[in-house]
Amino acid sequence: MHLPDGLLPAPVCIAGFAVTGLTTWYSLKQINRFSNPTESIPKASLLTAAFFVASSIHIPIPPASVHLILNGLMGTLLGYYAFPAVLIGLFLQAVVFGHGGLTTLGVNAAMMGIPALLAYHLFGWSQRATRHWSTNWSLGSSAFLAGAVGLGLAVLVFLTLTLSFLPAGLDANLERAAILGLALAHIPLMLIEGAFTAILVLFLNRVKPQLLKQT
Amino acid sequence: MRRYELDEFAGLDSLIHRWEPRCKLVGLLSLIFAFAWVENLRLVPLMLGVTAALYLLSRLPLTFLTTRLQYPGLFILAVVGLLPFLSGSTVIWQWGMLSLRQEGIEAMLLIAGRFLAIVVLSLILFGTTPFLNTVRALQSLGLPVILADMLLLSYRYLFEIAAMVTTMQQAMQLRGFRQTGRFPFLPSGKTLRQLAALVGTLLIRSYEQSERLYKAMRLRGYGRRPVGPQSVLPQHALTWRWHLLGLLLSGLTAAGFVLAELQYIS
Repeated sequence: MHLPDGLLPAPVCIAGFAVTGLTTWYSLKQINRFSNPTESIPKASLLTAAFFVASSIHIPIPPASVHLILNGLMGTLLGYYAFPAVLIGLFLQAVVFGHGGLTTLGVNAAMMGIPALLAYHLFGWSQRATRHWSTNWSLGSSAFLAGAVGLGLAVLVFLTLTLSFLPAGLDANLERAAILGLALAHIPLMLIEGAFTAILVLFLNRVKPQLLKQT
Repeated sequence: MRRYELDEFAGLDSLIHRWEPRCKLVGLLSLIFAFAWVENLRLVPLMLGVTAALYLLSRLPLTFLTTRLQYPGLFILAVVGLLPFLSGSTVIWQWGMLSLRQEGIEAMLLIAGRFLAIVVLSLILFGTTPFLNTVRALQSLGLPVILADMLLLSYRYLFEIAAMVTTMQQAMQLRGFRQTGRFPFLPSGKTLRQLAALVGTLLIRSYEQSERLYKAMRLRGYGRRPVGPQSVLPQHALTWRWHLLGLLLSGLTAAGFVLAELQYIS
């Protein structure tokens, strides 16, 4: 789910870089408030690489298969490091593998990174709201919400941008029907991403709870 | 995950290889963004001509280009391949329900041309400088230290972690894991749990490795004193007059494309 080079008009690409620049500045400002900001850099870097690799694992949905985006999970585990991690992951995907692009890096990073930051806050709020529930239910439901909303928002932005800027003279009714159809088709994927995030967070809570401590 | 080494041909000797990394970054990025502005189909052959000339100057082998264009090429084809049949009102050929439209063909050619030019320029930019030098150049142009460190460490461990996940997947398959689902369009709960355990183990291993790495880096003085950005000149570098001339030429070419585009719009 990356927008490739050449697809979007230049003003949209520039607007994407402006949004990404502002969000990166905000994330770095929050990170620099930590007592030792450099301490989490190796953790964030290796987890960035791990997320990058993990997103290539396919989940079978007979007769096809899908790969996960994991931006909600990144927000949950990396906190404010999630946006720089998404930005770096997308940059490496563009220059090493040709997925996405350099001119669309700003748009792609904003599309996946801002939902990751929202997922981080959503995970925290949801955990506080469900603190009276059992640990597993509270953690699982919060992670489900973070995973599903992270993907859902990214898909919504992706479809809107692709269908708004791609076709020259495409029929307006066809465009609306395509947005609606594709958005509906992604609802099951949101549920799968949410369920996967919940199972994974519960697994980490059992095996390595330190990883779930907010960065 | 197929391994694509960025530095594979960074040691070749050409005018582009000898160009100072900061000048190269600014010069080629200005061209890339100027190409993103192009909306006039008549500028596409010119844009592709400039790109081809730079690729020839870089002396990068053709296989470097063809292997790296396979995936993104198929992706862009899938995205714009239907445009000639769906977009526009001027029908130039019809066969039953199927009609080929002029506006759709023009949109497809424009997007494909821009895509090809930008991707090839990106390959020239990152394929002719060692990645470490590119990051140093980015840092000396203002990339924050946190981003530069994260970029280098992620790149350093990316292929190691990819190899780790391949080994883990092989081990799962040897133990009888099969990615199958019982119902159409629904993932099996068991498969989801097993794959979550795989990704979870991968994250835990990476986390533990990062803790060891941080201790090793601290012992070597990481975080105690700020290291200033140092741009590294390539081997057999040209003189500064040539570096700046390259920057000026690419800047003028980029400005030429933007001006031609603005004239076309007005």
